[in-house]
Amino acid sequence: MTDDNGQAVVQLTAVRKEYGESAALDGVSLEIHAGEAVAVMGPSGSGKSTLLSMVAGLDRPTSGSVVVHGDDLGTLDEKGLALFRRRRIGMIFQFFNLLDDLSALDNVALAAQLTGTSAAHARKRALELFEELGIAGRRNTYPSQLSGGERQRVAVARALMNRPAILLADEPTGALDTRAGEQVMDLLLDLNQIGQTLLLVTHDQQLATRCASRVIDFVDGQIAGERSLERTA
Amino acid sequence: MSAVWPVARAAVRRRRVQTVVIGVVVLLSTTMIVVALGLLAASSGPFDRAYAKQSGSQLTASYDRSKVTDAQLTEAARSAAAVGGPFPQVTLDLAQPQMMGSLVAVGRADPGGAVDRLNVWKGRWATKPGEIVLNRNPTESSGRGKPQLNGTLSAGGQTLTIVGFAYSVSQSADAWVTPEQLNALHPTSTQMLYRFTHAATNAELTAGQKAVTAGLPSDALIGTQSYLALRALTAGQPNTFIPFLMVFGWLGLAVAVLIVANVVSGAVVAGFKHIGVLKSLGFTPTQVLTVYLGMVSIPAVVGCAGGVVLGNVLATSLLTRAFENYGAGGTSVPIWVDVVTLLGVPALVALSAFLPALKARSLSAAQAISAGSAPRAGRGLRVQRVLSGTRLPRSVSLGLGLPFARPGRTALTLAAVVLGVTSVTLAVGLGKSLTTYQTAASRAGAVDLAIFAGPNGSGPEGPGAPPGAKLTDAEDEAVLRSAPGVTSVAAMADLEMRLAGTQSDLRVSFYRGDFEQVGYRILAGRWFDGPGQVVVSERFLKQRGLAVGDTITLQSKGKSVRAQIVGKAMYNSGDEVLSNWATLALIAPDLRANIYEVNVKPGTDLDAVVKAVQAKDSGLQETEGQDAGTFVAVVLATVVLLTLMLGTVAALGVFNTVVLNTRERRRDLGMLKSIGMTPAQVTLMVVTSMIALGAVGGLLGIPVGIVAHRLVVPAMANGAQIELPDFMLEVYPAGLLALLVLAGIVISAAGAYFPARTAARTTIAEVLHNE
Ligand SMILES: Nc1ncnc2c1ncn2[C@@H]1O[C@H](COP(=O)(O)OP(=O)(O)O)[C@@H](O)[C@H]1O
Ligand SMILES: [Mg+2]
Repeated sequence: MTDDNGQAVVQLTAVRKEYGESAALDGVSLEIHAGEAVAVMGPSGSGKSTLLSMVAGLDRPTSGSVVVHGDDLGTLDEKGLALFRRRRIGMIFQFFNLLDDLSALDNVALAAQLTGTSAAHARKRALELFEELGIAGRRNTYPSQLSGGERQRVAVARALMNRPAILLADEPTGALDTRAGEQVMDLLLDLNQIGQTLLLVTHDQQLATRCASRVIDFVDGQIAGERSLERTA
Repeated sequence: MSAVWPVARAAVRRRRVQTVVIGVVVLLSTTMIVVALGLLAASSGPFDRAYAKQSGSQLTASYDRSKVTDAQLTEAARSAAAVGGPFPQVTLDLAQPQMMGSLVAVGRADPGGAVDRLNVWKGRWATKPGEIVLNRNPTESSGRGKPQLNGTLSAGGQTLTIVGFAYSVSQSADAWVTPEQLNALHPTSTQMLYRFTHAATNAELTAGQKAVTAGLPSDALIGTQSYLALRALTAGQPNTFIPFLMVFGWLGLAVAVLIVANVVSGAVVAGFKHIGVLKSLGFTPTQVLTVYLGMVSIPAVVGCAGGVVLGNVLATSLLTRAFENYGAGGTSVPIWVDVVTLLGVPALVALSAFLPALKARSLSAAQAISAGSAPRAGRGLRVQRVLSGTRLPRSVSLGLGLPFARPGRTALTLAAVVLGVTSVTLAVGLGKSLTTYQTAASRAGAVDLAIFAGPNGSGPEGPGAPPGAKLTDAEDEAVLRSAPGVTSVAAMADLEMRLAGTQSDLRVSFYRGDFEQVGYRILAGRWFDGPGQVVVSERFLKQRGLAVGDTITLQSKGKSVRAQIVGKAMYNSGDEVLSNWATLALIAPDLRANIYEVNVKPGTDLDAVVKAVQAKDSGLQETEGQDAGTFVAVVLATVVLLTLMLGTVAALGVFNTVVLNTRERRRDLGMLKSIGMTPAQVTLMVVTSMIALGAVGGLLGIPVGIVAHRLVVPAMANGAQIELPDFMLEVYPAGLLALLVLAGIVISAAGAYFPARTAARTTIAEVLHNE
């Protein structure tokens, strides 16, 4: 799994994103290859989440191009972006962003239902994921009754449901205690090891060194440096 | 789309408060809309609707029985669209003083039929000889002195028992008996009732009449009555109630639309973060829109259906009473109102959801997700800074700042509260003005007892003949004055007179004695104090272009008298004139008083007075007094119903706003509690925010309501050709105003209290756990 044998899953070229006067991203170019695990680190407000939004097609750059899994996001309309997200992207957030109205299992099944899978099929696949992630016992619980670690595992299951080209995680352990954080870390590492491409935002050095093979340092919306890592795990 | 339905359904099931609030608000609003539209619809052309409902007779004709047979009439009537009759008909001279004169009776086996379907609103139809049904409008007083159910009438030497009261919009007869009974009364004429295919104009009616009389002996037709004339007569009657209903129809409509818009758009705005999450999962904009429409539509459709049912029930009972005087029985909501409501309310709900959903669509998914719980609050922060510099308790000043965080939502809520308070203010004011007017104009309750005295020694003799007074006019008056408890007696005689230069007949009431005690209020000028003076109504002046101070000439029995209009009194009729005994002496000096209007000390037994008087003169009979009819009751029922509904809907609007605000701010509230604010302080804070809203709503809504009252009431009065004296516009004493402001505050506080308490009781850990 080296840089040259994987093809580029993500290709950002001179991406700039402005919010009003200030630029959250200021000329970012970046390539991520299949099977890589890349960590983005940097101080709060440096543009890390904005970067993930660009890759996920949650927002559009002011200028520059974003190509993910061969799709140039600039050419897609709103509906095209939605279809792109549901098929290519899995997202994990710091605060989970589960749908409070749906049970844990239905939250996960929903992702598959979006792609046209029948409810029964979607539930079956969701249950498999629940078993792999060790939360099968909580499948009928609603998010508000789950612990943070459980919620994040449900979110991971949801992100994996459609076998995304890339898994995006924004501070996935930021709202978790140490133990739950470590379990989520292990989970991400396992996923990467079976080939899942991963783009991870964190300011937790330990998480970065454990999960990522490459670390990109962000300062003021720009890439300030890049390091390759020997993973500790 | 398979992912859309589960999300919408889950939201409906799990967000119970939102679902219930939308359902109930739509239910009540739909109810108001149906009532409002029903009122508006019913207010246009009530006569025509009543006529259509009874399939009223367009041409009522009387034929000479000796000139034409029933078979000939039936044969000739074949060109008519529908026919009632032939029915035998006779004019009976009544032996009862109350009916004063004669009565047209028709023999009919049943009240239904193709034409003139009677509304038997009390008792039953006459089924055998000896029974009679009287024609009486259901709103007409049936109080003291009127023929009662199971009472008897003597006519043509026979005694008939009153078994029921019916109403004919066509005014086809005064009473009905069975055909057998009528034949026993020796009918002289035959009644035919016709409806034609074309009867919109006098010319068409004349053509119809020509057709149905073709081939009959030329002198067989004695008389006809056209429904166009009846309609003109009704249209000329004042109906203050219709503008009243219309004003409320529009107000109810406006409040309902505002609140639905507020509640539904609030649900969507509160869902921005939810929308962001859906988008991040790959929901397309259309799918998101569908989820939200589904989420609000499910409770809205249920509420709408329930509201249409409830609205029909309420509107029917309200309208039936409001239009009882048209006599056709139940007035219901026209079907188009239901159709419009069933289509319009869901459209309104969809539109209310659609506008904020469009805004959500324009937000990028990233922005929508981070729209998070709390709104961005630039203005809110500034207001908060100013408030924190004041000396108010911190929980109060924080609460006062809350409405500024969501200016749009606050504005919609405020608008609803203002309109609510405006309508309540207007409702109370209109109700008070109208009931005051109606009570005064109808002289309801102004006279305790009305005594009828038949003419001395004249009239038919024999058993059942009307009892003439035994004593003279002056003696009778003295008898009444000396009766126990009597405080005032006004003697009155009335005369049909012609206003010189016109074709119209007037009824002139000549008074003597304590006429100032019988309930007429002088609006301009003064009472008469010498011969040749009259007092008239505003309608009389308006219809004839006259003014107080003008002189008119009245004619009767070949004599004429010039009279000056010296005053204007408050009463409705344009065909009645008041005058005094000195004026009567110029025309008919020998006429005796036929009515004595008597007032007694409070607590006096009226039956005892009648007995005492009859002991002296057995010819004196008690007759009907005046009452305000059901008008006042209907106005009050309408005011109460609308006030309650508007108040409830406005309170629900506030409730919903507070639910949304506290949900958005639960993190702030948790934070405030974590730094030591007690639940009571949190509740106080949230309730304060809405009390401020209610107070502002009251302060804006009351003046608007009062101004509206000042505009609406005179317009109504003008349309009805009546004059409301200024004092009837002064219906808002300071105490009432304070009560109205309080109403705004109570509505807001009631709406805010429960969600505020719930928010205050949420444990901090729970809030933090779920953020
Ligand atoms: N929706 C938004 N509107 C305005 N400014 C934003 C928005 N999202 C992010 N920003 C701004 O862009 C900059 C980068 O934000 P973000 O990418 O969230 O940083 P990070 O995730 O590294 O903490 C910040 O200054 C932030 O205030
Ligand atoms: Mg961030």
